[in-house]
Amino acid sequence: MSDTGTALQLEQVSKRYTGMLAVDGVDFDVRAGEVHALIGENGAGKSTLMNIIAGAFADYTGRIRIGGQEVALHSPLAAKRHGIQMIHQELSLARTLSVAENLLAGRLPARHGILDRRALRTEARDLLKRVGLDSLDPATLVEDIGQHEAQLVEIAKALGNRPCILVMDEPTSALSRDEVKHLFEIVRKLRLQGLAIVYISHHLPEILEIADRVTVMRDGKKIATREMLDVTQADLVEMMVGCAAAADLYARKARPAPGKEKLQVRGLTRTGVFHDVSFAVRRGEILGIGGLAGSGRTELARALVAADAPDAGELLLDGRPVRPKRLSDAIRLGMAYLPEERKTLGLALRLSAGENLLAALIPRLTRRCHYSARRGAGTLGRLMGLLQVHPSDPQVTVRNLSGGNQQKVLLAKWLAVEPQVLILDEPTRGVDIGAKVIIHRAIEDVAEQGRAVILISSDLPELVSLSDRVLILRHGRMIREMPRESLSEEAVLLAANGGVGDV
Amino acid sequence: MTMRKEQLTALLAALDRHRIYVLLALVFAILPFAAHGFATVNNLTTVLKSSCLNATVAIGFTLVLICGELDLTIGATLTLGAMLTIGLQPHLGRPGSFAVAVAAGALVGLCNGLIVTKARVNSFIATLGSMTILQGIIYIYSHGASVSVTGPADFRLADFLEKPLVPLLTPRVLITVALVAFAQGFLTWTRSGRNFFLVGGNRETAWFSGVNPARYVVGAFVVSGVSAAVGGALFGLSMCSATSNLGASCLMDVIAATIVGGTAMTGGKGSVLRSALAVLTFTAMFNGFNALGFPSELKILIAGLVLALVVVYEAAAARRHEKARGRRPMLMEELRRKDPTQAKESRT
Amino acid sequence: MSERTTPFTRSLGGLFHRAGIFGAVALILAIGALVSPKFLTAGNLLNTVDSVMLLGIVAVGVAFVTYSGHYADLSVPTTMAFSGVMAVEMLRFGFVPALLAGLATGLGIGLVNALMVGRLRVNPIIWTLAMSYLTMGVMRWLWSNQQIYPDVKGGDTGAGRLFMELYRHEVLSRIPLPMVILALFVVTGHYVLTRTAFGQQLKLVGSNPSMAALTGVRMPRTVGLAFVLSALAASVGGILITSLSKVGAYYNGEGYDFDAVTAVVLGGMTLTGGRGSMLGVLGGVLMLGLMSNIMTLLGVDTFAQRIVKGAVFLAVVGVGSLLARRMGRDDA
Repeated sequence: MSDTGTALQLEQVSKRYTGMLAVDGVDFDVRAGEVHALIGENGAGKSTLMNIIAGAFADYTGRIRIGGQEVALHSPLAAKRHGIQMIHQELSLARTLSVAENLLAGRLPARHGILDRRALRTEARDLLKRVGLDSLDPATLVEDIGQHEAQLVEIAKALGNRPCILVMDEPTSALSRDEVKHLFEIVRKLRLQGLAIVYISHHLPEILEIADRVTVMRDGKKIATREMLDVTQADLVEMMVGCAAAADLYARKARPAPGKEKLQVRGLTRTGVFHDVSFAVRRGEILGIGGLAGSGRTELARALVAADAPDAGELLLDGRPVRPKRLSDAIRLGMAYLPEERKTLGLALRLSAGENLLAALIPRLTRRCHYSARRGAGTLGRLMGLLQVHPSDPQVTVRNLSGGNQQKVLLAKWLAVEPQVLILDEPTRGVDIGAKVIIHRAIEDVAEQGRAVILISSDLPELVSLSDRVLILRHGRMIREMPRESLSEEAVLLAANGGVGDV
Repeated sequence: MTMRKEQLTALLAALDRHRIYVLLALVFAILPFAAHGFATVNNLTTVLKSSCLNATVAIGFTLVLICGELDLTIGATLTLGAMLTIGLQPHLGRPGSFAVAVAAGALVGLCNGLIVTKARVNSFIATLGSMTILQGIIYIYSHGASVSVTGPADFRLADFLEKPLVPLLTPRVLITVALVAFAQGFLTWTRSGRNFFLVGGNRETAWFSGVNPARYVVGAFVVSGVSAAVGGALFGLSMCSATSNLGASCLMDVIAATIVGGTAMTGGKGSVLRSALAVLTFTAMFNGFNALGFPSELKILIAGLVLALVVVYEAAAARRHEKARGRRPMLMEELRRKDPTQAKESRT
Repeated sequence: MSERTTPFTRSLGGLFHRAGIFGAVALILAIGALVSPKFLTAGNLLNTVDSVMLLGIVAVGVAFVTYSGHYADLSVPTTMAFSGVMAVEMLRFGFVPALLAGLATGLGIGLVNALMVGRLRVNPIIWTLAMSYLTMGVMRWLWSNQQIYPDVKGGDTGAGRLFMELYRHEVLSRIPLPMVILALFVVTGHYVLTRTAFGQQLKLVGSNPSMAALTGVRMPRTVGLAFVLSALAASVGGILITSLSKVGAYYNGEGYDFDAVTAVVLGGMTLTGGRGSMLGVLGGVLMLGLMSNIMTLLGVDTFAQRIVKGAVFLAVVGVGSLLARRMGRDDA
């Protein structure tokens, strides 16, 4: 493979999930000795594209060439064999083993079956040197090293498999500024060594610093590929977001004036997670919370509903200080939290839609020690109908519903408790357009009923069209409040990246 | 104040990491002074002899636990091993009956392993079922009574196995030590041995790295069956008899020893040596209590207490770990810069 | 709870799977009838129930623990023994105080289990095992390995005699007390699981613990209560078995932990939790009893029966796991 040749080429690659095209006819190529950034909002299709390259799907269409030769990437092992190494966000190390054993997992050096400790140590040190971890003792257990080192070990491990193509998925979301600098040094070194590096990230300033070319995706399609020298951050934002926002879906309706303050948050802090966050939400208001992945939004939401205990700060509901000690207290106070991961945290996939929908109502459907699901039948029917859950049979197992319908059931579950403050964390992630419309309408209805809504979303059009105001969280701190008039996707994205000045 | 708390936590953590050595040292430091007759050669030999059975069984049990599974059949398998070795002797001679006993243990392990890997049944349930079947087989074979051999050659062998060759070390003890050493060496120094830890530590990563988890899990169960059978067989040969309730308390004792010794229920971590040392520690402790005139019933209570304390400590540490999760390094740095007296938080 | 029908679910295999334990019980009854004319007689069937009454009582309690996804309560046998021993010991204060003492013992053990597994989240298998060690140790130490006798402890208060007759007592002069208690437990247990907030929330905990926590279920309390119920049921069983054997001893209750889990799993509760019913547990208990009965009628000795029980258990679980995988679920 020549040093400046094309290492990886995707031609008209598509991948369809039931009902939607996650990746739509994408052409993408990476050269050897290049850092090629892949950006796009959540749902733009970049994760799916990367997973195709990593061999996660056997059913993609289109052609993939590696070093000029056409290949079939139908399994992770196949991808590995063709020299592709992916470094996921969630690390794949075995925590109970040493760094060295993780680096050489499955190919421990041995002579006649006896472990060759010296060779293990030497090879491990060599790999660690390549990622700048010269001072890390390879015998250290993975569970004893920090997140940053673990990530570098993961990279070193990938390098040990002698890849031609390295895919890095959001490598900096948990790193400090110094650690990011260090990581970039490593990346530059690898580039010089002729690796083709695909770099996925939300952090535009970082992309501008490290990448040679950038490809922007939106709605599953490739929008553009540009040389890094030819674009500015504003250009990137414009491409990510598109000039004309989808007309009906994100039409920004006039929002009624909100009422009195419902929830006041003062100085909320969780040591090391978020710091001194203060804001207020009014009745009838939809307060958006924007920020990059890892900025602390979900942790903030969890602290608001006492799912995690805050270390400092206070909450006031209708002017009265409240101190919920646990989530059930918060629910009784009228607060509700819809978690970001519906499959693992929001729903019990094994149970039926009805059981999931009524799950938070269980205490209320119980009179004198007698629980009756029938008491909830009215609410159940009303909400299933309101959100147009399909199929409408409450006995259907949630696992068998489409993503959009699952999300509707999850939303219905929290609408059922009739909360005074409804906190939504990525309410339309992985959801088809039809369901999105319905969910958006429901959210607006909730606000119209005089309740307070806090909307956490990485979906910029959604955030901008629904919110009355948007608060920006960055590295655990609330850095800006943006009134509705100043809201635009570009502005929010810039603010989330730490950009200042008006747009 | 914060400094001291940090130091205390660090100290406790270090002690916990090597807890079996600490416990062993404590036991062997206190008992010779506290209990009369504990530190005699005769008594110490008894301690070593009494540890052989459980230590051998613990070899395989630890391996299964390292893979992240559980084997409840060890008590029944060891009884089977003992019974077959003694019971089949008149028909097959001593080497023959021993071979059959070992083969039986391997077969039990193989069945367990296949049920867990092929039928994908949870190992708790699977070995629960096999254990019940085995217990039935044992009872049928022995009719609830004990089997024994009474030939002069048998007594000579038993004597040989149980008389110290060197002070403290009887042949059976030496065999046990050799087995433990071999197993520990295998797990520490061979490639296949290390792969067991990978399978237990992160099964998916193991698969992606080309290590077949199913093969290793089945292997672990086979080793567990064999080690239990061998332990039982040696015991039977030394006593010239085997009763059907031989393995009754074995499961509990071995689990306690393995956990206290530092092997994790969740897999990926463990040591055969530490399990064996834990067995030794418990045996010594009980022996000492006897010498101290403690009623033998107290020993069960103490064993339970030690296990409970270890397990509670581990759980409390895990809860503390959880609370610290998700801490952002950048924010921590800033806090530290503002407040230099706050000690550096350990990265999680 | 129905899934979308597929060709498989509509087939015989699917039918069988959904009929569950009662299908198996029916099958066994049919086999039994073929095996022996004596089988389907009232006397014989009552005998069968008689043999598993205590197991049923205990299994109802263990079922709560399994339903919550915490595998099993291995401290059950020692809780049984300890409750019985405490009851006998307190007979000198009277019959009723003795019973209360026994139940209080179960409650105490249950609360400790609740704290450890519910709040500290210690592994339930290891903890209940450690607990059984502790309880056994306390029993054998405090009573110096000895058995105690109700008539001796009761003295001339007559409480001892009452206690020993407890097991054999017949309600309405016809139905054995344990059977009544069993029926009561099963009905109440079923009610608790299906018609109380606790039962519904326990189902959430068993189906997806993280989701349950984020739904506002009070985890330590809910999981803890499951263990308390298990210990209480065990103490009732323990008092009865002590009455039956007429001696308070540390070995009463031996084997009940594994037998109860067998019955619970046979009855359709998966170890991963959130699935099954109390009626299924009853079915599992009955099935064990019926199997023993048939085998006894066939002249199979008790030890061979163990083998068959173990084999049937593995077969049911293994087949159940395969069927579940075919129907698209991958738990169990």
